[in-house]
Amino acid sequence: MSMPECRKELKKYFNHLMSLVEGLYAIIITDRDGVPVFKVSTENAPELALRPTFLSTFGMATDQASKLGLSKNKSMISTYSAFQVVHLNKLPLIVTMVASSKTNTGMLLALERDFDNVLKDMRAVVDIS
Amino acid sequence: MEKALERQLDETMNNPGVVGVLCADKQGLCLGARGTGERQTCGLITSLAETAQKLHPDESSSPVISIETDNMQILIKSKEGITTAVYKSST
Repeated sequence: MSMPECRKELKKYFNHLMSLVEGLYAIIITDRDGVPVFKVSTENAPELALRPTFLSTFGMATDQASKLGLSKNKSMISTYSAFQVVHLNKLPLIVTMVASSKTNTGMLLALERDFDNVLKDMRAVVDIS
Repeated sequence: MEKALERQLDETMNNPGVVGVLCADKQGLCLGARGTGERQTCGLITSLAETAQKLHPDESSSPVISIETDNMQILIKSKEGITTAVYKSST
């Protein structure tokens, strides 16, 4: 499969995942520095949450949280008045989900399983570079 | 703080036929789980309860949802923002 085709398939799959959870506005996959590798979003997603400056904060936060003596940090949930952001630590990749504050957080966390298969291949690419 | 809930979950597990139980808040986050009740399914269970409630929005109390499989029955009920699922063995 060629690169554009692969990207198209990936986009289709992530859009499908977004449709599974009501109020999920964006799924962003970045490297540990917050550089976007892949992104799907709806027009409802706040623009600020899609910027690398916002996305890179989790990389630092998860490193610090892992030093609390409670083993490696797996995920972080930040809730705001209108939005919630769920970060999953899949280093060297980071998954960020931006959703409405009313969205079922448990459903967002349950998407982790669906990400695992796709991330396996992506991780190999990031590891090499 | 959660000792009362933990005790309640253990008591539920002692009932005949019960093989699992889980409890979630209205955000779908797990409050406690025992036996076959998988923590990762808390979000789904809460979502099911919310969707079922929409079938009869005028009803004051939430419905009891029963999911039957070949070897298990799952009973789901929401009350005061807490959703509980009880897994019962059919055999």
